[in-house]
Order: sequence, then structure tokens, then C-alpha cells
Amino acid sequence: MLNDVTFGQYYPAKSFVHRLDPRVKLLFLIAYIVMLFVAKSFYGLALCFIILSVAVIASRVPVGSVLRSIKGVIVILIFTSVLNIFFHGGSHLLWHWKFISIYTEGLIFSVFLTFRLLFLVMGSALLTLTTTPVNLTDGLESLLFPLTLIKIPVHVLALIMSIALRFIPTLIDETNRIISAQKARGANFESGNVFKRVKAIVPVLIPLLLSAFRRAEELGDAMDVRCYSSGKKRTKYKKLKLGWRDLIAALFASVLISGVILLNIYGAQICPQIYPYVVI
Amino acid sequence: MAKKKKDKNLNKDVQTEGGDKPLPDFAVRLNGVSFSYAENEPYALKNVSLEIKRGEFVAVLGHNGSGKSTLARLICGLLTADKGSVEVWGYNPADKSGLGKVREHAGVVFQNPDNQMVASIVEDDIAFGPENLGVPREEIGERISWALNAVGMEKYRNSTPARLSGGQKQRIAVAGVLAIKPDVLVLDESTAMLDPKGRREVTEVAARLNREEGMTVILITHFMDEALLADRAVVMNRGEIVLEGAPEEIFAKGDELETFNLSLPEIGGICSLLKAAGISVKDCLHPEELALEIKKQSEIYGFKPRSSGDITVSTENNCKNEWDIDVENLTYTYSPKSPFATKALKGINLHISEGEFFGIIGHTGSGKSTLVQHLNALIKLPGARKRYKKPKVKKGRQPLPESKITIGNYDLSDKKCNWQSLRAHVGMVFQYPEYQLFAETVEDDVAFGLKNFNKQLTKEEISQAVKESLTAVGLDYDDVHDKSPFDLSGGQKRRVAIAGVIVTKPKILVLDEPAAGLDPLGKREIMKLLHGLHGDWCKTVIIVSHDMDEIAENCTRACVVSDGEIFDCATPEKLFDRADELFALGLDVPTTQKILIEMSGLGLNLKCKLTSQGFASAVIDALKGGENA
Repeated sequence: MLNDVTFGQYYPAKSFVHRLDPRVKLLFLIAYIVMLFVAKSFYGLALCFIILSVAVIASRVPVGSVLRSIKGVIVILIFTSVLNIFFHGGSHLLWHWKFISIYTEGLIFSVFLTFRLLFLVMGSALLTLTTTPVNLTDGLESLLFPLTLIKIPVHVLALIMSIALRFIPTLIDETNRIISAQKARGANFESGNVFKRVKAIVPVLIPLLLSAFRRAEELGDAMDVRCYSSGKKRTKYKKLKLGWRDLIAALFASVLISGVILLNIYGAQICPQIYPYVVI
Repeated sequence: MAKKKKDKNLNKDVQTEGGDKPLPDFAVRLNGVSFSYAENEPYALKNVSLEIKRGEFVAVLGHNGSGKSTLARLICGLLTADKGSVEVWGYNPADKSGLGKVREHAGVVFQNPDNQMVASIVEDDIAFGPENLGVPREEIGERISWALNAVGMEKYRNSTPARLSGGQKQRIAVAGVLAIKPDVLVLDESTAMLDPKGRREVTEVAARLNREEGMTVILITHFMDEALLADRAVVMNRGEIVLEGAPEEIFAKGDELETFNLSLPEIGGICSLLKAAGISVKDCLHPEELALEIKKQSEIYGFKPRSSGDITVSTENNCKNEWDIDVENLTYTYSPKSPFATKALKGINLHISEGEFFGIIGHTGSGKSTLVQHLNALIKLPGARKRYKKPKVKKGRQPLPESKITIGNYDLSDKKCNWQSLRAHVGMVFQYPEYQLFAETVEDDVAFGLKNFNKQLTKEEISQAVKESLTAVGLDYDDVHDKSPFDLSGGQKRRVAIAGVIVTKPKILVLDEPAAGLDPLGKREIMKLLHGLHGDWCKTVIIVSHDMDEIAENCTRACVVSDGEIFDCATPEKLFDRADELFALGLDVPTTQKILIEMSGLGLNLKCKLTSQGFASAVIDALKGGENA
């Protein structure tokens, strides 16, 4: 059931990462993801992991919360890694049975891919765990601002987004109330076949839609009265400001980017004997 | 509703853009304004003329559907008059250039605070208006501080509205309008959805703005007592202005008001009861005044309260009935094991006997809704949940007492309890139940519960039961049964929704704020309806309310829930006797109790029932009884 008042996965705390500018966090995440894909060896991946660990520690979010984010992708993860083990070709045959053959390269690649995806999911989770949806919208709006030049109404989109975020808790409450009310009148949402269950949703869906329309209409009036008209020039009260924390984050990002690239180029020289086993 | 009509017949005086216009004489001026929502519909406003001076505080009174909200929409330009002219701060809202100006000068706060907010953080929401006007950033910051200060919500600048109470949310909505720096503030039934405390908060803000900032305030309401703050009151009925004058003058015309479907505040009713018994008290509006009046009368007649032992008799009977409710050690935590975990209930013990008309009092967020949702297992007890394990008891520690609820023969902490059958016996009507209607016809909607609970019923049986329950809620079956529930009026919808719950003939009926959002007359009718159901139809009626007058007037016993605990559970007389403690909890007491407190301050001690009837007859008895003896 829809229990939680807060939505998304935001974990409230006052940490270094929480206080970063959302734009910096977004750009950092993009850089981090790009680097995950640029890295050719486990060395680069290890560097990404170190940066991720530092970020998790600095965010004061329990490690468990970050790990929990994997739950959603675990099936895909297992599926792709198993496929890769069997179907990735190579030259060093490791094991062979009838038509199935596993190569060392395939094994390494599949482990590599698993870690890459794990780190990717965990990194993205850290962003949503430490940034409120509102902040995220502000950050996105600010980053997408250049698009106004090609006549994309970024501001209107951001307003739509922020109104949607504003009404999610309200509508969740409303849904819960309607579900309870219909349950009190004997409606059964938990058993029966698919057809019955879909039919059981009707008494919830109709009042919910009606309420959403009613709210939309009232909101429109309230916005009208508060002098809103989409064409007009508006000012913006909230301006995101960069601080010393963002500078430190930028420093980390440059360490990450240059580190991964350097490891790609010079990685082979670190320990040539094991290099074939860490590169993909 | 928000149909915007363009009318070209209006006077076409073009307003000059910008420039310092001299201050207009009138903040708002309506001249012979008529309006109807559709071609063939009757006029929602008929030839209304109204002049409101700068800095005036005007209350517009009227029952639901009297046209008072249409008036607000015409003033702010959401609607355009069919006939006549509207002028706000010298600008005409029907004009394109005038409309923007009108909106800068006149701000409107609507009924539902939830539907007026655009942002998830208070300060962002308040910034919305000034942002639209292109106000520079620094000034917006100042305006936010000023507006929050004006509504007394400085502390909540960075909060999210979702966690505020109704009154607080509405004050934020007021601040959002104030940030535009309007000269005229229109409150369009802004208090209708609030609890008495929230209502007081909002009206006080309006009165203060009028007093200190010289703002013109138009307060549209159906609560007569709110009009007392105004300089002038205007009463509307069927789209026309029928009375106009100082609030005191208006209230003196009690009988006339009744014909406009308005009712006097509780205290006015008591005055008329006393007068009817030949005690010449003035029409009072405040408890202190009435106490003084009674004091004066006592000097003429003497004051001998009859020792009325009967009122202290407890209605609690300890013998077991078939449908008693027993709640033991009920605890409940929302989102346990998360950073948002909040204890909603902290060990509730409660006994409600069969046949009671029971009241549950508490603020928003006190846990009262959580409590009632346990009663028909919408929230299941830990013991009844799947995969429940008994908590391990640490050595040397008392095991935590288990939450238990029994209702009649149903043990709600038992996994095997028949939930459907329980829910058929414990009917629950939620707040604003009309928002849960969904079916194509009234008949289908009312029958929904019945069909769910009993699948073997024949068509005739269902139809018969629907007919009975519609009749029980005061609707004519033949008239409404094949209509769409959405075509009915607000009050009728609520009745249909109640019929949809009582159709199973529940033994216990629980209602969460059954009268919320209704005008005083509608409230009275709903309570009358509940008394009609109590006894024959449902053995026990439980209402959740924060209107103390409602509790005192109707309930045999009531409990106060505060911060997840039961503060007290007793008859209204005993309960409200602890007035000081209730005030400390931020709760109110009924008007009658307030008068009693004032009277005892004047040396008149009286104990009586707290219904207005009971109070009036005790006073009459004390005054006149002495004379006859």
C-alpha cells in the first residue's frame, strides 16, 4: 500500500553531499557514469569505486540504503553476466562441456560488467538519496537553461515538474483515503483474478480522477489570481549558488576523470604480469 | 465552474497603463451586476450593487449557493459580468489591460489551501506571485519575510506545506497572496474547510491586516461569528443582497436570518431561548456579555441553581452489551524503521458501550483518525498481520503489553477474524465522503457496499435496502435513484455517501467530521440525521470532530485524543470542566462552557448540561425557579 508520506528515496541528513549544489551533483554523476564506461581496466573501475565510497561516507547515508538500490536491477544483472560468461568469445578456453565453452576473457568481462552496472546504480541512487526532488528540478532547470535559445520553454517544463512534485503527496493521501473508504464498504483489492482486480480499481480510479481534475481547476484559478501568465517575463527568486563544497567536488571529479584516463593509458605498466587479467 | 465569459457590451473605458493614478474612492464598486453560468440557467447574481470603501472590512454572508462565491470571482476577474459594471481599485476586470491591474490590486484566497500551492517549499510558493510580476530577486526575499510575518508563520519559511495543519496551510496561502502586495484581500470561504482553531487563526490575520496595514478586506463566509470582526456585513440570498449593516444590527434580526438559511451563532440561539422564557437579555455576541446580562438578571430575580445531581451521573454502564468496543494498549507507528517513523498512538485504552453517541476530539495529527481506522481493521493490529511473530522479550524487562481490540464478538488481533463481516457491522464514513462516489447512478453507488458484503442478495432485496437507506438519510428514492451522483448538490451528495455506508445496517457507525465544510444549516441537518439513525438503525454512533459545540450538543460521552494518548474520556460536562487543561492542549471548549466560566467569575455558579437547550433551561430555572418557590 502507499504508505510513505515522502516519496522518492530522499534520506534526510545534513552532510557534505546533501549540501552540494544539485547541478554539481548532476554533472558529477554524468562524469562518473561516463568514466565507468571509459575505464578499460579494473584499475579504472577501482578508482570509480574509491570515489563512490568517499561520496557515500561523506553523505552519511547508511550503506544499507545505497545497497538496497541494487534490488531493482539484480535480475538484469544476473541475466547479463550469465549470458556474457557463455557467449563472450576469447582465446583462452577455461572449461568446455558439449557445446558450451567458457573463456577466461568472457569470465573477466562478465565480472567487469557486473561491477560497472553495480557502481552505476549505486552512484545514481546516491544522487536521489541526497537530493530532494525539488532541488533536482531546480538543478535540471538551471542546467537545461541554454535550451531556451532554441525555443524550448524550459521554465514552463520546470513549473509543470514542480507542480507535479508538489501534488504527489497530496494525491497519495487522497488515494489512500479513497482506498480505505471503499475497503470500509467491502471492496476487495487483494484477492481474485486479474480481471477482478482490475475491476476493483474502478471505484478508486474514478473518484481520484475527478479529484485531480477538480484540484487542477482550482489550482489554475489560484495561479491566475496570483498574476501568472505563461508568456510574461518572470524573475526567479531561488538562485542556486556554488560554494566551497562544490569546488572540492569539482576537484574530486577532475581526479576521477584524469585518473581513469591515465590508468587507461599507463595501466599496462603498473604490473605487466597481471595486466591481461585486469583489462577487458 | 471557472467558465470565463467574454462580454462585449461592457463600458469600454480603457485604463491608462502605469502612471500614478490618484487613489480611488472605492476599493470595489459593483453597479447593477448580474451573472449566470449558462444561457438558460437562472441568475447566480441578480442586479447586485455594492460599494466597498478603501480600508473597509466587509463580511459577505450567505448559505451555500447564495451567490457569494460568484461575487468573489467577478471581483478578481475570473468571471465577467453579464450586465452591469465591476470596478476594482479604479480598474475594470473585464478589460484586457485592466485585468492585470485588478489582479495586482486584489488578491483572492480560496477554500482549499492544498489546491492553491504551486511549490513544495513554503518560501518558493510565496515567491510565485512576485516572480510572475517580475519583482527583482532581493525584493522578493523581503516580501516573503514581510508576508510570513504578517500571517505569523516566520518559522515555517523552509518547511513543506504537506506537514502543516489546515489553518497553517491556509495562512501560507494568504501569505502567497500578500506577497503580491494587494490593496484588497478577498477571502472566498477560506475558512470553510478549517477546524475552529484554524478558522480563528485565519480570520485574526485578516482583521490584523485590516487594522494595521489598512488593507481592504472582503471576508466571504457562512459562519456568522466570523462576521463580528467586520465593519459591515452584507447578507446574500439567491443572488441578491438582502441585508446590509453593522454586524450587530444584522444579528439582531435573527428570525429574518433564518429565512435566508443562515443561523445565529450558538450564543445567539441561547439568547433567543432565554428571551422566549421572558428573561429580557440583550442579544449578545460574546460569552462575557451574556454572562454579564445573566448577572444583571440575577440581581432582579435572584439566582438559585437547582442542585441538579442528574447531570453528574455517569452514563458509563459496566455491564456487558453485545456490541461494546474495547481498545487496550493500542499503539501504532507510521513508517516504522525508517527515518520518518512517527508514533501516532501511544497506548490507547478506551471502552465504548453499545448505544452511546460517542465523540472523539483532537487536532489534526493527534492520532484520532488512526484510532478510528483501527475500529474496522482498515489498519490491522500487529497480531492480525500476515507473518506476525511475537516480539522477543529481553530478560529482566516487562514484555510490552499487546495491542488488543474487541468489538462485539470480533477479536481484531486474531488473524482468523472475518474482516468482511466486521466491516459490514462497523460502518465508516470518511471526511468529505462525497468525494468517494463513483458509480453511474445513485442506486449503484449506494448498493456497492451491500453487494460486496453479501453476494447472494436478489435484485429486489438490494433495491429495497437502497430505498430504505436513502429514505433514512432524508432523500426521496424515486427522485434520485437513477440520477448520476455527480448531478446532485453538495449536501445531497454527502447524504448519498452516508446512505452507501448505512445500507448494510451496521451496528456501529463511525463518522469522521461528518459536518465538515457544510454551512451551519447543513451541519444542523446532518446532526439531526445522525440522531435519527442512532438507536433504530445503528446502535452506536461515533463521531470524530473538532467542533466543541457539536460535541457538547450531541454526544453522550466524548474523549480527547492528544498526541497519541487519551487525555480524558467522560461526559461532555465532566470533560469540558477541565477547560484550562484543554486550552493548554490548544483545544477549545463549547460556547456554553465559556459562558459558565464567565458566570462563575461573576460569582454565579451553575452546573448544567452543555447543550444550548440544557444551559438555557438551567439558567431559566435558576432565575425563575427561585421566584416561583
